[in-house]
Amino acid sequence: MESALTLDHFLILSGLLFAIGLAGVLVRRNLIVIFMCLELMLSAANLTLVAFSRFNVQDGQPNYDGHVLLFFIITVAAAEVAVGLAIIVALFRSRETTDVGKLNTMRN
Amino acid sequence: MPVYFLEIIVVTLGLLMLMVDAFAKIEDKRSIAWIGMVGLLVVFGLLFAVKWPESADGAFWQFYSANDQISLFYKGIAVITTIIVLIMAVDFRHIVVAQTADPEKGAHPQSGLGEFFALPVFACAGLMLMASANNLVSIFVSLETVTITFYILVTYLRRNVGSLEAGVKYLILGALSTGFLVYGFAWLFGITGSMQLAEIASSLADPEVNSAAALFAFALILVALAFKVGGAPFHFWIPDVYQGAPTPITAFLSVGSKAAGFIIFLRLIGPFLASDVLAEKICLVLAAIAGITLIMGNLAAMPQKNFKRLLAYSSVAHAGFLLMALASAPTKSAVGSLSPAMVVTFYLGAYLLMTLLVFLVVTTVRNSIAGEEIDSYKGLAKRSPFLAFMLIIAMASLAGIPLTAGFYGKLFVFKMAADQGNWTLLIIGLIGAASGFYYYLKIAVPVFFATSSDDGSGEEISSIPVSAPARVAMIILTVAIIAVGVNPNLIITLFS
Repeated sequence: MESALTLDHFLILSGLLFAIGLAGVLVRRNLIVIFMCLELMLSAANLTLVAFSRFNVQDGQPNYDGHVLLFFIITVAAAEVAVGLAIIVALFRSRETTDVGKLNTMRN
Repeated sequence: MPVYFLEIIVVTLGLLMLMVDAFAKIEDKRSIAWIGMVGLLVVFGLLFAVKWPESADGAFWQFYSANDQISLFYKGIAVITTIIVLIMAVDFRHIVVAQTADPEKGAHPQSGLGEFFALPVFACAGLMLMASANNLVSIFVSLETVTITFYILVTYLRRNVGSLEAGVKYLILGALSTGFLVYGFAWLFGITGSMQLAEIASSLADPEVNSAAALFAFALILVALAFKVGGAPFHFWIPDVYQGAPTPITAFLSVGSKAAGFIIFLRLIGPFLASDVLAEKICLVLAAIAGITLIMGNLAAMPQKNFKRLLAYSSVAHAGFLLMALASAPTKSAVGSLSPAMVVTFYLGAYLLMTLLVFLVVTTVRNSIAGEEIDSYKGLAKRSPFLAFMLIIAMASLAGIPLTAGFYGKLFVFKMAADQGNWTLLIIGLIGAASGFYYYLKIAVPVFFATSSDDGSGEEISSIPVSAPARVAMIILTVAIIAVGVNPNLIITLFS
């Protein structure tokens, strides 16, 4: 039986994830939610990489180069979250807000 | 010495500095910065003793480019920038300590200062690796090494509202641009089936390639890189982040991260330009972005009252000139023997000299004057003729007055645009350069023609102390600016 899932399905799904993430970053005001949306965008890229790896068959093997980048992305994203959440906590301590709309003391 | 030893040495140096900070009982943490500076000076010397590998076989060279003279120049930029950032950081230590020191009893009075000196060294290692990255994976990893280090450094003054705000903005927009970059990389990998830039170039040169998908990947990567280098319309984070960040870090951002962004730009754009179908469209998009960046950067710089904000818009304007050079890349037109990549590299070299000089002056002045407003520079010429002279040289070079390094940078860019027939872009560039004369040189008015007693605060006119390393660095940079302004070949021979 032919597989029902094609590359297109994965690309559409990852495209949707990326769009949702981007829309969240642009629309939401809460820093934590924005940060989650940024992670969603990275996940969309990861899904794209895996899909292309799986469907880019060379000599009967998936192209594993994509997986290499994927593991680096996961690692880097973890580091980014560690630093990012620390920064958001530091901001909350001094300003008692996580609303990006209130970060406007420098506009003059 | 194999070329990759340079990065290993720099990372080891950073670790050493952290270890000294953690375990050695030292009264004055400035010695950590001295270790860093001496170590980086040694690395700078080693740049001239690099031995390239005889063959580029083996897995390692798929991530790190072999036989690449221009990458050495960018490594040099990274090392010099970091040394001067450390000099500034030492002068800036009082502010860092005031904003970060641990109030607990028994804590070191300078706690928090050691990391402020060590982190730029790690960023330097990332920048150096980036100069040699020839694979999407190594580009991504080195770029993130630098970016994540910068998140911490920008937010470093954790009790200062401006620094925190700048850090959060940089964090969100930096992470957003990372998202675009990896999604673009994923598509580029999907189209070409490879992570290596050389293989990507040969795949894209194939006329059978899916050009719509390739353009989509290019658009995503372009958005990400425009964020990094500060190209309009993605430059809006730059003024706030530059204003809020600690001044030495602002200097690091405006030189180091800009040079890094442009070398990645040069590397990633190469494969796309290999395709005849794509090259023309890409050139058009780049020209549009360069034009908007020039207009936005130069017009917005004019009314600025805060000096760091003015320098932020100036850095956007310079990104515009650099993008203008990139937009002329497709035809491989040459100014004399200079390729577009070389024009960009020359411009960055000149930009490094003058921007670091300005920031050295700003950091030194900041120790004696509370504000960073342009008005607070009133009477600087009376208080310190030396600093006023350095500032004017740097501003003249940023504006592009002949006999300074900045002049040749702009001249090469304009000549290339003229050879290319990009008349619209050339006119926008000339208008931008002309307005630059106004906003760079207007600083001369308060510096030379007003006295600081005007503000009625009754403050005494005292001279401004300049630390010895800063003084040496300023003199070297000034001499270099004028020497390059007389003979531009001094820089060109370094990378050709």
